[in-house]
Amino acid sequence: MDTLINVAHGFGVALQPINLIYCFIGVFIGTLVGVLPGIGPISAMSLLLPITLSGTPESGIIMMAGIYYGSMYGGSTTSILVNIPGEAASVVTCIDGHQMAKQGRAGPALGIAAFGSFIAGTFALIALMLVAPKLASVAIAFGPAEYFSLMVLGVVVLTFLTQGSMAKALLMACTGVVLGLIGLDSITAQPRLTFGRIELIDGIGLVPVVMGLFGVAEVLLNTEQIIKRDIINTKITHLLPSRADWKASAGPMSRGTIMGFLLGILPGGGAVISSFASYALEKRLSKTPERFGNGAIEGVGGPEAANNAAAGGAFIPLMTLGIPPNVVMALLLGAFVIHGLQPGPLMITQNPGLFWGIVASMYIGNLMLLVLNLPLIGMWVQLLKLPYNILFPLIILFTIIGVYCSSNNVFDVYVMIAFGIIGYFMRKLGYEPAPLVLAFVLGPMLENNLRKSLILSQGDLMTFVERPISAACLLVAVVLLVGPLLPALRKKRELVALDEEA
Amino acid sequence: MSNDSDVKFRLNNSELWGGLIGLALGGFVIWSGLKLKLGTINDPGAGYVMFYTGILMCVFAAAIIIAALSEGGPTFGSRWQNTRWTKPVIVIVCLAAFAFALNPLGFLLSSIPLMVLLLRLVDPVRWQLTIPIALLVPLGMWWILKRLLLIQLPSGIFEIG
Repeated sequence: MDTLINVAHGFGVALQPINLIYCFIGVFIGTLVGVLPGIGPISAMSLLLPITLSGTPESGIIMMAGIYYGSMYGGSTTSILVNIPGEAASVVTCIDGHQMAKQGRAGPALGIAAFGSFIAGTFALIALMLVAPKLASVAIAFGPAEYFSLMVLGVVVLTFLTQGSMAKALLMACTGVVLGLIGLDSITAQPRLTFGRIELIDGIGLVPVVMGLFGVAEVLLNTEQIIKRDIINTKITHLLPSRADWKASAGPMSRGTIMGFLLGILPGGGAVISSFASYALEKRLSKTPERFGNGAIEGVGGPEAANNAAAGGAFIPLMTLGIPPNVVMALLLGAFVIHGLQPGPLMITQNPGLFWGIVASMYIGNLMLLVLNLPLIGMWVQLLKLPYNILFPLIILFTIIGVYCSSNNVFDVYVMIAFGIIGYFMRKLGYEPAPLVLAFVLGPMLENNLRKSLILSQGDLMTFVERPISAACLLVAVVLLVGPLLPALRKKRELVALDEEA
Repeated sequence: MSNDSDVKFRLNNSELWGGLIGLALGGFVIWSGLKLKLGTINDPGAGYVMFYTGILMCVFAAAIIIAALSEGGPTFGSRWQNTRWTKPVIVIVCLAAFAFALNPLGFLLSSIPLMVLLLRLVDPVRWQLTIPIALLVPLGMWWILKRLLLIQLPSGIFEIG
């Protein structure tokens, strides 16, 4: 009953005209960046982070959340029609979605992707409503040791799942922690690694780092390749899937939804992993696995449901523990902090309007996305024809403006350009930026909780293993760190390892 | 991977250099941690976490170097093989020039040439499109930010913008 009252309260907030407008802007921009290859939700959210300052916290966060789940919808359109993933979570959709489009079945592929996303998104929201308050009440008992161990686990899971060498991913995570420590020490107020620059006293901003590593670096990588687009030019019809399509997709969508939601909650997990996992599972369960890769609708419905459910699940650790499980949620944490809010176990009770308003807006946003992605599909197809040589200078200009507006400081533009160049070379040499960014966000919190735990326990390191939650997190982290040394687990890691850039 | 692109002891093994850079960074972080104050385990100082993170960085960098020496790795050349490597270089040079020009020239006088250069030098766009895009987009953005959002962009020594 309490939940229903809270949901009603949330709808009261979400249905305010200004919040509806922000929600629409968020899902519209989300779909746009999902559709356009070369610009992902991270770049778009960084770009719009300063704009959230102009409204209430509810409006700003509703818009940012809309960009995230909107991009999950939009990414599938590009994958199906152009065979280029609009964002990383849609890589798998290319495999069967584009084959379906080539066979003249672009309509059902787009339809099942949109309906699968909608159903999974709705499920994730209901689960978020039910799970988050319960987890928040448990999380109140968390001390610094639990927080420290949970953050260590988050960083380790992400490094485990990052493509390529784990040593490289761990080196990146450590670099991220150090970058996060730049500025005044929170306990002694001692300046660290500021090199006498006054701009570094407050540390390096998240926006220039993310925009550089993801936005500018991505543009640099794209310019060195000739982007060929194999756009399906036939008219898109039969967007509503047939009964046979529904029958084939129902199981994969249900499994994808549950698996995606659970993987989304895990620190370090997210939409990309869940879509790959769902595809692998469906192929394994199928009686005709040879159809996968040749236009099997199950290969579209399952992963699309999984990535949207994961997007919803990822809100749980952020809202209940204040720990962002991935880079996108780290940006959302940035939006909370800009408004002077700290997500965590007390937020649901202290700020119910904000929490339930965001949840309710996501219902409304999912409905908006269904309209944006089915009847208005033609508009997005036209947009796909915009050549990259016109698009990339615009992306660069928007990133420059976005970074400048986030701080009104030219120094941040220099930081972004520097990180753009560093990010380009990192990617060329096989160093993924995702662990660096997550560790950069978690670094100061991680240090703070470690030092607090040591002070409280009077230097007794056993405090981390005597507390069951902390011990469990550290145990899983150790298994994941040592695991790749074992051939069986290394093989498993190679199967699921992926580029977690979005 | 071909023999040419997978080398063990050659100096142009990119994995080796990546590891060496990591090792140097780790060493610098350890030194910075020590210079701050380590404190004790009961009362960790400002350099405590930095120091131990630096040690971890050195350990991971050493693992990369050992792997590069024992298993080999691609050369720098092979990383850029079959790519148009000059294009990102052009973009980087344009961005560096923009960074230098932004404060003295201001947003408008630096972003319009940046747009022209990016539109013309990478995959050339027709002049008929380049000029309006390069002029209208920065002007439009400047107008929205200055007039609607009341955000002051750098106006430079000429006070334009």
